[in-house]
Amino acid sequence: MDSQNTPLNYSIETEKLSLWYGDFQALIDVSVKIPDGQITSLIGPSGCGKTTLLRCFNRVNERYGNVTTKGKIEILGKNIYDSDVSLPELRKTVGMVFQRPNPLPISVYENILFGLRIHSPVGHLTRTECDQIVEEALTSVFLWDDLKDRLKVRATSLQLEQQQKLCIARLLPLKPKVILMDEPCSALDAEGTLAVEELMEALAGRYTFLIVTHNMAQARRVSKECIFMFLGELIEHRETQALFQTPQHPKTADYVQMRYG
Amino acid sequence: MNSLIMPPNPRQKLALQSIALVTLGMVFIPVWNVVKNTHLSDVQASSVVRASAPLPSLLSDLYLFLSVSLLAILLAGACAFYLEEWLLQTNWIRRLVEYQVGILSGIPSLLYGLLASIIFLPYSGISKPIEATLSVENMDTSSLNTTAFQGDITLFYAIMLTLVLLVMPRAIKTTQEALRSVPIPIRESAYALGANRSQLLIKHVVPIAFPRVLAGGCRAMSCALAIAALFIGIYIWNRAPLSGHGAGIFALFLGGSLLLSILSGFLNERYPTVSI
Repeated sequence: MDSQNTPLNYSIETEKLSLWYGDFQALIDVSVKIPDGQITSLIGPSGCGKTTLLRCFNRVNERYGNVTTKGKIEILGKNIYDSDVSLPELRKTVGMVFQRPNPLPISVYENILFGLRIHSPVGHLTRTECDQIVEEALTSVFLWDDLKDRLKVRATSLQLEQQQKLCIARLLPLKPKVILMDEPCSALDAEGTLAVEELMEALAGRYTFLIVTHNMAQARRVSKECIFMFLGELIEHRETQALFQTPQHPKTADYVQMRYG
Repeated sequence: MNSLIMPPNPRQKLALQSIALVTLGMVFIPVWNVVKNTHLSDVQASSVVRASAPLPSLLSDLYLFLSVSLLAILLAGACAFYLEEWLLQTNWIRRLVEYQVGILSGIPSLLYGLLASIIFLPYSGISKPIEATLSVENMDTSSLNTTAFQGDITLFYAIMLTLVLLVMPRAIKTTQEALRSVPIPIRESAYALGANRSQLLIKHVVPIAFPRVLAGGCRAMSCALAIAALFIGIYIWNRAPLSGHGAGIFALFLGGSLLLSILSGFLNERYPTVSI
């Protein structure tokens, strides 16, 4: 991603993005600009293409076959469908957190280093470096105090909230620019949700967050801008407060006032 | 994930299924040719007339038999790996192979054994009428080491084909199931961290799926051993003096078959599907 020298206001820009699963069109001419360094949320009823849009941004969609994409997605000023884009590099820059916490079934320590290990040559990392990286990553997600004595524990045996935080922590050593979150709190209880939200707010300055959520209260709480999607189309994209208080499109008004969905 | 994959076109599905059946039918043609030329009397003769071929010759065939089935299992593992990890679920080659595997692995292994014994026994020299061969004292020692298939190469292929048809579908099916049992979230998280396919496979999929792949291989090998034991059993049955050596080998094969199937059951119990 060659974008260091030009100051950018937008991390992600799409232009007339359409996507088909076989014959079914899941995204229709979506043009959106996601601003740098803040939290943007994607809301909309189920099946409206939020997750699909999110998954486009690090191209994990392509694994399913029969996916056709048209249009342009620029991340940090680089079209990610160019032929010279390397997928591992793209996924390193654009991290993703899933709906259900999915730590790998290895130790906490190795989970955090997994991303780094696959991106650096064998034997490149020294023991002290590793320890330091793990400590930094866990500290920035507020897990270090809980887990510093349990680094060798299998990550899948932690509490769900800890697992989800760990999933965020393991992205950080890769120094991503954008972090995509697909309903990161839907598997957590109220306390865990709050903890993850606090974490996002703490990290927001350094990374661009894009979260998909069904929880409108959450969208209001955490995000600065909000995007409403309906049946594959982008209906409205404004500041969160404005979108919730004075929605301009009737469909947005129906949705945010809970008339359906 | 499955909701994202379009269901196959029904007409295409029917076409693939019929191609699968037709190609399988073509595989059975050479087998059928051998069976057709076998008269019932030959088969009956094999159990009535005392077998006269020396045991070592039979054994060298059986060892060949086993090494072929071991190779078939390894090949099947590689094949399943390719189908499951490299080809998309919608790929027509994958679907064709899966239909064929489904048809073949549904046939009970005893049927394969009976089929092979119809071909094997009358033609392999094990059950030649006793007058046709010399008594043991006059026998040339060099003939002890010759295989029964000598001079009848098509027969050899027919039997190996039967064996491969027995072992491979089972091994492919179980390996595929083992690979499929690796949870999708693990794959997704590795991909989302930027792992490529080989890193994902080496570091996560193979270590997780390995016990189950091994269990599948054991089960397929156990089938092959059981069929081998069947042949030895028939051989011993035909041989008038029940030699201790033959009985020992029979017990070895039968015991091996039992042990492998128990081992496969144990592996499946010990390493249940990973869930996260």
